[in-house]
Amino acid sequence: MVRYTVRRLLVAFPTLLAVYTLVFLFVRVAPGDPAVAALGDYASAEAVQALRERMGLTAPLWIQYGRTLAGYLRGDLGRSLITGIPVGQQVATALPHTLELTFAGIVIGAILGIPTGILTAVRRNRLPDYVGRTLALVGLSIPAFYLGILLILGFAVQLRWFPVMGSGPFSDARANLRHLALPALTLGIIMTSFVTRMTRSSLLTVLREDYVRTGRAKGLRERTVVYLHALRNALIPVVSVLGIQAAVLIGDSVMTEIVFSRPGLGRLMVQAMMQRDYIALQGLIVIYGALVVLVNLVTDLSYGLIDPRIRYE
Amino acid sequence: MRRWWAVLAVVLAVGLVSQAQVLRIAFDAADLKTLDPHYAAATMDRAVVDMLFNGLVRYKPGDITAFEPDLAESWEVSTDGLTWTFHLRPKVQVHPFPGAPEGYELTSEDVVFSLQKAADKDRSAYAGEYVGMRFEAVDPYTVRIILDKALSPSLFLPKVADYAGGFIVPKGPYEALGPRFATNPVGTGPFQFAEYVPTQKVRLVRNDRYFRGAPLLAGVEVWYMPDVTARLSALVTGEVHVIEGVREQAWVEAVKRMPGAVVDVFGPGETEVLHLNMSKDPITNLQVRQAIAYAISREEVITAIGPDVAEPLCAAVPPYLAGGLTCAEAAEKGLLYEANLELARNLLAAAGYPNGFAISAYITERASYRKPFENVQAQLARVGIRLNITVVDHSSFHTLIRQDVNPLVHYEAWRPSADAFLTRFYHSASTVVTGAKPDTNFSHVTSVDGLIEAARYELDPARQAELWKEAQVKLLEELASYPLYVLKFVFARSEKVDYGYVLRSSLALYPQVTELTRIK
Repeated sequence: MVRYTVRRLLVAFPTLLAVYTLVFLFVRVAPGDPAVAALGDYASAEAVQALRERMGLTAPLWIQYGRTLAGYLRGDLGRSLITGIPVGQQVATALPHTLELTFAGIVIGAILGIPTGILTAVRRNRLPDYVGRTLALVGLSIPAFYLGILLILGFAVQLRWFPVMGSGPFSDARANLRHLALPALTLGIIMTSFVTRMTRSSLLTVLREDYVRTGRAKGLRERTVVYLHALRNALIPVVSVLGIQAAVLIGDSVMTEIVFSRPGLGRLMVQAMMQRDYIALQGLIVIYGALVVLVNLVTDLSYGLIDPRIRYE
Repeated sequence: MRRWWAVLAVVLAVGLVSQAQVLRIAFDAADLKTLDPHYAAATMDRAVVDMLFNGLVRYKPGDITAFEPDLAESWEVSTDGLTWTFHLRPKVQVHPFPGAPEGYELTSEDVVFSLQKAADKDRSAYAGEYVGMRFEAVDPYTVRIILDKALSPSLFLPKVADYAGGFIVPKGPYEALGPRFATNPVGTGPFQFAEYVPTQKVRLVRNDRYFRGAPLLAGVEVWYMPDVTARLSALVTGEVHVIEGVREQAWVEAVKRMPGAVVDVFGPGETEVLHLNMSKDPITNLQVRQAIAYAISREEVITAIGPDVAEPLCAAVPPYLAGGLTCAEAAEKGLLYEANLELARNLLAAAGYPNGFAISAYITERASYRKPFENVQAQLARVGIRLNITVVDHSSFHTLIRQDVNPLVHYEAWRPSADAFLTRFYHSASTVVTGAKPDTNFSHVTSVDGLIEAARYELDPARQAELWKEAQVKLLEELASYPLYVLKFVFARSEKVDYGYVLRSSLALYPQVTELTRIK
C-alpha cells in the first residue's frame, strides 16, 4: 500500500506539469489583459504598458513559463498580478474555508443520502421510493445559487436563524458553524441527491447477486442481508461518487461562495479568470489539480477498507 | 460621588454606541483590486481609498460642483497662472504604520512625494494628468506647483483634489511597506486600515486624531458581495447598512417599497454613448451615420433602463460639467437627431443601402452595456440595419474594442472634466491602434483636435466652456458618436444611516462616508 501510494504521488508530478502547461497556454490565448483589468478604463495606454512591463508580461513566453515553473519547484506560487498578494498566502486563507464547506457538504450528503438510497432500494416501486427519487431529482435539478438564495430567504431573511453573509472566524466555533450551516446545506442537498441515486442503483444491483439470494435462502433476516452483506459491496461505487463529487464540489462551491459572500478557492479562481490574473490563476489551478489527485488517491485507498479483497500492488 | 457614576454611565453608553456604530457597506464586487489611490479605479476601491486619504482640496461631500479646503487650508495662483501655492493645514496626522506606531505629522515633503509619485508612470495610472508640472516644498507647510502651461482652475484643481492622482500618499508608510502598501494602505483620512480578508471584506477603524475631529462611527466594513439578492437580503436582516444597488428602474421601485429602506439615486453618473467607427464601411458614410442616429429613439432606450436612473445625454460632455452641452443647446443647433424612421430609411437609400446592411459587434456581458446595446439592435432592425452581437466577458470586450474590431462601440464612462472626455474619446492622438497615444477614440474622428487644445489652455472660464461646446457641436454634426444617456448610481441604505450631508453627487461614485456619518 505504501509503494502504491508513493507511485501514485510520483505520477502526480507529470500530471500537474501538464495542468500548468495547459493553463499557461490557454489563459494567454483568451483575449483580455491583466494590466487593463487592474487599472480600469480610465488609465492611459502608457500607464497600461508600464504596468504590463512591471507585471513581466512583455518577456518572451518561454521565459514567463520557466520563471513560474522555477518558482513552483521552490514552493513559490508567485504573486497576484492584480493585488500583489502572494498566491500561496491567498490559497492559505481561502483553502480552509473551501475544505470546510466541501467536507460539510459531503458529510450532509452521506448522512442523508445513504439512508435515503437504502430506503428507496429496499422499498423499490413503493411510496418511499417514489418520494425519495422525486426529491433526488429535484435536488439535482436546482442550481446551487438558486437553492442558496431560497435557503437565505427562508432561514436567514424570514426566520433569522442564520446569517446571510460571511464565513465566521475559525476561532469562534459557534459563529463559524452558524455561518457554515446554510452554504453547507446548499451543497449537502445537492450531494444528497447524487448519493441517494447512486446508493439506490448500486444496492439494487447487489441485491440481485447470488450470494444475497443464498443469504436469504439460508434464513438470514432481511436486515442482516441488506446491511451486513449487500450494503458493504454496494458502497464501493458510492465512495467513488463521493470522491469524484468532492473534487467537483471544490470547484462548484464557487456559486455557493458568491451567494453567501464566503471566501474560498473557487471564488478566487473565478476572480483570477475575470481579471486575467495569469499568475494567480495558474497557481490556483495547479493547487486545485493537486487536490483532485489527492482526493482520488484517498478514494482509491478507502476501497480497501470497505472491501478487504482489494489489494494495492 | 453621584457625578462620577453619571460620568461612568455616559462613558459606558458612549462605548456601547461606538461598538455598535460600525457601518457595513456591501459592493457589487468579488474582491478589491488595489488600495493604492494612484491605481484605484474601480468603485469598490475608490470607496475605501476615499475614507483613508485626503487631497489638497476636496469636492464638497455630496456635491461635486464645489471645491473646499482639505489638507491645504488655502491656496493661491500667480497672475500668469503658472504657479499654484498651497498652504498646508498643520497637525495633520498620518495613520500609524509599522515603524511609526503613533504615525507622524504630514508635511510638504509628503505632499511633494505623493505628487511626484502620481506623475510617475511606474508608480501611478494617472501620470498623464501631471505632465508639464514640477512640485516644490517651500517650507514644511507650503507646497508650490509650477506648470509649463497655465491651466484654468476647473482643469487644475481636480488634479490635486480627492480623486485619483490627487490623493496624498504619505512618503513614510509608502516606503516602509513597499508592495504591501496596495493592500495595507496608510493615509490621513477619517478612517484607518485595520484588516483585509481576501474576497470577503476590508475593515477600517476610526481615526481618533482626524484633523476634522474624530468620526462618529467606530469603523467601517466594506464587503465584497457580487450577488444582488444576497446584498439585499443582508440589508433586510440588518447585517449590512448600505448596499450597491442595480441601476434599473424595476429594482429601484421594488426596494423603495421595502419598509426601513431608502434608495439613493445620485450623480454624477456615467455617460452611455454609441461611438460610430468612421473608419469602417459603411459607417464611413455620413448619411449612414445620420440614418443610424435617426433610427434610434433615445427616449425608448431611457424608458427601457428607467427614467429614475437614466437622464438624456445629447452631447459628448454631460451637462453637469463645465463646458457640457445641454439637450436644449443641441436642439437649438438642430442636432438632437430625434427618431425619424422614414428619414432614416431615405438616408440609407441615398447612401446606397435601400435594403439596409449587416454589421457585427462585440459587447460585454455586463448588463449596463449589454441591455442598451440590445435595445439599439432592435431599433436599428426597424430600418434594415442588422446588428449581430457577440457577448464576451468584460476583459475581452475592453481588449477587442481597443483592437478596433467594432463598427459600433457602446461605452460607459465617467471622466472628471470636459477636457478628459474630449481628449480621451475624440482627439486624434487617442485613436485606437493608430493614434500617437492610443486610447478610446473609437470613432477615428480628427476634426476637433484644435478646439480641444485651445480650450485646454484657455484661462477665461467662459471662453473655455464656449470652445468645449463648439467641439461638441462639431462632433454632433459629424456624428462621431450618438450620445444616449447618463446612468446614475444607485445605492440602498437602512433609514437609520445618516450620511451627514445631502447626497446629490459623489465623485467617489459611492455615497461618501465621512466623519459625520452615523447610524441613528
